[in-house]
Amino acid sequence: MASRSTTRPLPGQEPLPREFIAQHQRARIIAALAEEICVQGYRAVTVADIVKRAKIARRTFYENFDSKEVCFLAAQEYAMSSALTRVVEAADESEGWPQQVEAGLGAFLRYVEEEPALARSCMVEALAAGAASLKYYEESLQTFVGLFRLGREVSPYKEKLPETLEEAIIGGIFWIVYQRLLLAETGGIYGLLPELVEFALTPYLGVEAARGATAAEEGGGAGGLPLPS
Amino acid sequence: MESPEYPPELARLPPGRHGLPREFVARNQRERLIAGLAEAVAENGYAGTTIAHITRHAAVSRRTFYEHFSSKDECFVSAYETVMTELRKRVGEAFDQEEEWPQAIRAGIAAMLEFLSAEPHLARLSMVEALVAGPVVIERYDAAIQSLVPYFEAGRKGRSAEVLSGLSPSTEEALVGGMVSLISRRIFAERTEELEALLPDLVEFTLTPYLGSAEAAKVARQG
Repeated sequence: MASRSTTRPLPGQEPLPREFIAQHQRARIIAALAEEICVQGYRAVTVADIVKRAKIARRTFYENFDSKEVCFLAAQEYAMSSALTRVVEAADESEGWPQQVEAGLGAFLRYVEEEPALARSCMVEALAAGAASLKYYEESLQTFVGLFRLGREVSPYKEKLPETLEEAIIGGIFWIVYQRLLLAETGGIYGLLPELVEFALTPYLGVEAARGATAAEEGGGAGGLPLPS
Repeated sequence: MESPEYPPELARLPPGRHGLPREFVARNQRERLIAGLAEAVAENGYAGTTIAHITRHAAVSRRTFYEHFSSKDECFVSAYETVMTELRKRVGEAFDQEEEWPQAIRAGIAAMLEFLSAEPHLARLSMVEALVAGPVVIERYDAAIQSLVPYFEAGRKGRSAEVLSGLSPSTEEALVGGMVSLISRRIFAERTEELEALLPDLVEFTLTPYLGSAEAAKVARQG
């Protein structure tokens, strides 16, 4: 089973373009690694486990990646850049910082729902998967930090806010999402949106205004979200 | 909190003949093995640590190791539990010494940062290596972090309806998660010396949902 090549077309099918297959194989290997991490933890996963789950030849694995570590780094780059692209796109479509936070967080939660294994491996295990992974994690986090930092411009507290506030907010969001993923409550991830938006906005806007900024969504109101006077 | 016991990972019996009771020796051997594991893991990472490394650091025989633990993993779980028991005890004691909740939170966080920066090997073992040591340890890691939630939930008591309506069922979990993330990322990056400087930021971050920004900042800058 493990030796069957994915490059062989099914009877009656045209052979797929080489590039498409290569892409598909990489994605499949990455997905298999993420699933194995969720089952047994990063350290215990072997290339043999990945190969078995992905149903590919061992040789195919090594044609794509030099090692488990390299494969994990690719998984991380793939997940982080996909998530970030969606977050930025969603935020760009909204006006006003609180609305952008809501749209961006919503896109993030949707992504986690689609890719629970990958998301979980990249949010927590990535910290412990070696120096290169840790560096990449820290860099990606800084991008998210930059997006939240824009909130200081609309905050009455501005520079009085703690220097590490954004890191703490992102850490808190990741933790909640991670906990839900551990309980395999994938379906309910998006439902966390209102409380996570409020959690993220409160330090910048204060309790009352943060609640006002999310109220329109709960009440089904359209577009502009007036802050309470 | 549990009644205090002498921190076992710090108790080390000098090797050699000492004529001590058998039970005491056995207990002490176990503690030495745990300390040995922490040192070996700090040196080689968990994956690179062998039982030979552990027994060398502990100065006990391989046979002694197997009298206490069936595997490296089992020894790790024991070490992890020992560290977390000690950490929980210190946090609990610091918290209990304060009358007012905001000051108690501040004292608890300070005790945690102090312990982790004074014991970089144990900090690394409990925050870094625990994450790669497999699902059994991850479960304990999660439980240990979640066990901090009630300290923050205590802050809901006596708050106005307006403040309470701004808190969601997951507020405390998010605060704890954010706090642990700041701490563990510095341990991962081997910047444990920065930990104690995080105190004001962490206090302000965790108190803001309950006290508002200005009051939280005031408590954070005390001391």
